[in-house]
Amino acid sequence: MSLTRRNMLTGAAIAALAANLPLRVAFAQGAKTIRFALPMDYTKVYTFVTSEYAQGQQDYISLINGRGGIGGYTIVTDVSDHANDQPRAIEAYERAKAQGAVLIDPLSTPVARALTPRALEDKINMVTAFSGRSDAADGTVFPYVLPLSPNYWTQTGLIIDFFKQQDGGSLKDKTICFVHIDTPFGKEPLPILEKLAEKEGFKLQAFPYTPPGNDQSAIWPQVRRARPDWVMFWGAGVGQTVALTEAIRNGLDMTRVSGSVWVSESDMDVVGRDQAKGVLKVEPCASGRDPKLIQEILKEVVAAGKGAGPEAKVGTAYYNYGVMLTAIMLEGVRRAVEIAPDGPVTGPWLNAGLTSITNYTAEGLIPPVTVTPEDHQGGGMGRIARWNGSAFEPQTDWFSANQDLVWEEIRKYSAEFAKTGK
Amino acid sequence: MFFRRAGISFTRYQDERQLWRLPFDRWTVGIIFALLLAAPFLIDRLYVVGYLLPLVIWAMAAMGLNLLMGGAGQIHLGYGAVIGIGAYASVHAMRAGVPFEFAMLIGGFAAAMIGVVFGAAALRVKGLYLAMATLAMQYIVDFVIVQFPIISGGSQAALTVPRTTFLGFAIEGDRVPYYVALTLCAVLTLFMLNVKRTSFGRALAAVREKDYAASIIGVDPFRYKLLAFWVSSFIGGMTGAVLAVCYYRTISPDQFHLDLSIQLVAMVIVGGLGSVLGGFLGVALILFAPIVLNQLIGLAADQFGLAIPIDLRAHLPLMLYGGLIMGFLLMEPLGLAKVYGNIRNYFLVWPFRHARQ
Repeated sequence: MSLTRRNMLTGAAIAALAANLPLRVAFAQGAKTIRFALPMDYTKVYTFVTSEYAQGQQDYISLINGRGGIGGYTIVTDVSDHANDQPRAIEAYERAKAQGAVLIDPLSTPVARALTPRALEDKINMVTAFSGRSDAADGTVFPYVLPLSPNYWTQTGLIIDFFKQQDGGSLKDKTICFVHIDTPFGKEPLPILEKLAEKEGFKLQAFPYTPPGNDQSAIWPQVRRARPDWVMFWGAGVGQTVALTEAIRNGLDMTRVSGSVWVSESDMDVVGRDQAKGVLKVEPCASGRDPKLIQEILKEVVAAGKGAGPEAKVGTAYYNYGVMLTAIMLEGVRRAVEIAPDGPVTGPWLNAGLTSITNYTAEGLIPPVTVTPEDHQGGGMGRIARWNGSAFEPQTDWFSANQDLVWEEIRKYSAEFAKTGK
Repeated sequence: MFFRRAGISFTRYQDERQLWRLPFDRWTVGIIFALLLAAPFLIDRLYVVGYLLPLVIWAMAAMGLNLLMGGAGQIHLGYGAVIGIGAYASVHAMRAGVPFEFAMLIGGFAAAMIGVVFGAAALRVKGLYLAMATLAMQYIVDFVIVQFPIISGGSQAALTVPRTTFLGFAIEGDRVPYYVALTLCAVLTLFMLNVKRTSFGRALAAVREKDYAASIIGVDPFRYKLLAFWVSSFIGGMTGAVLAVCYYRTISPDQFHLDLSIQLVAMVIVGGLGSVLGGFLGVALILFAPIVLNQLIGLAADQFGLAIPIDLRAHLPLMLYGGLIMGFLLMEPLGLAKVYGNIRNYFLVWPFRHARQ
């Protein structure tokens, strides 16, 4: 570009205009608001997972705010995209801190891991549902990191226990294949699985695939050759649908294949609703539109045209996860208001509420959740559900299993963190 | 008028040898540096911790890569891995009790050792083939870090950086990490500005232009290509240590993936190959444009009550960001540093129209 006087003047004018735009979004901070920061990854890895989860969160918050909030407090949310990129996440975190947010939910394992030291130092409650460090369930070491959901070790425990129930109470000499993405997240269940294999006497075979997992064609024939009694597949995003497609293509019995919590209706649309019939998953909360809270959202938020996204997504698995987590967070707010009605609204104030939630069921949406200052997992209950071609059908009641092993592992790693982290 | 320059400016060799020959440039640099020094006391901590600190650290990385890409003309798609090696080596050293000052050097040496091995590929292959060879480095390093729990730090794969000190100052809070990074960045900037004027820098330039022509005039391409990889990887490794200690405080493998390498290459190209100033400008654009655009879209949505679905609200900044990068490169293929150069040239003779060139 050659520099002429005209170009120069236009450039200067644009620069002058741009300089007038405020960089930071300033909200009117009333006395009676509670700020939640929700920077998530909408664009990189989690994509549609985040959209559906965030839609559930926003709709539930609209429902509660529409009814006048909690104890006079309304919830203000700050939505932004961190694209799983840590500088952006750290910027979002620091901005949230500057704006006085008392809770942050990044919904991303790498981001949660990176923000852990900051959250602990600044006393800002970080919700790491289905993400982050599994050992954060130990509230004594991680007072401000709250998974509030069954972690991956617990999910593994639930699945193995379900397999055992199905096979008449024993897994002796059975073969269980564990197909996982070759990242720290994918390898996380391995220590628990190895312990369980020893305890229950089954043969464990692990098959790692390279991230992001859009080609797994070399792995699944090996899985078939191993003649597994049960198969677990562990991944996220695109890897999940590829895993299911390959499992079907290799003629595995889909009624003996189970995923973690990261299986949803949207995945089934990609794989083929009928072809994937029989697949199992862990349900941390009820799916579908039947639960009372979802009905209320449909009536008061979606019907009023205030829904945060497409109506078709209401009641899908990840949408309900969003509602579930927000319901638990707001129950924490309710408890905090009960303990100290006049605030001041700070991280420790909300933390006191969140860690005193007892037997909260969100009107039937979730299993009874009890969070204590020691147990940030909330009890570790869930259920196993089966895809029947149009919906996930629960196969069990809410249950928890193998928690002794899980907690042994949690304490082992949290002790390590406590020792070296400070 | 601004630059107060008319005709031949220099009457002494020292004047012509200065880094910044014109008083105006010296003042600009001085004022910007003074502002950077005073920043923690002038502006909100958010801007120091969330913007200036990453800017300074990423600029160090961009300068290191620029030495290789702009200086010696060797493409490197695995620079993120180089930074990762530095970060892991130095953090493990610190966890073993080595002070930060030495751990940083250990990180630098570790990265240089491994970087130079892959750089050896540059002796045989060029251009796109070298890109593939360095890409392989990225994947191999990623793989090794993830596969060895002793490196990555167990099944959580998150390695906490121990509290440490630099020259007696405890690196904690908001200000000290920033000043540590700024000091190191200033030293590195001076090095980069000077390296072009050394025989080493000129040899690199000769290799960049044509390696066999360089060997005809007596510059050994073998030696200088390896040296370029060595120096650049060393800088990358030190940057990794600074990144881990001053900014991330917990390191995990995903921080040093291909994304980081591509991001750095983009910074160098958008900023301007071979330009030190370009490194800073490129970093500012690539690192902050997404954040600022996100906030502008958010602001617009809130202020004007635009009912944009969350999904679109997240993707719109990305589209604008892509457009911005393409726009800048179409407008000035030589990068942001050249845009600054054009503006400077314009004012050099202002209010007259044409520079005497």
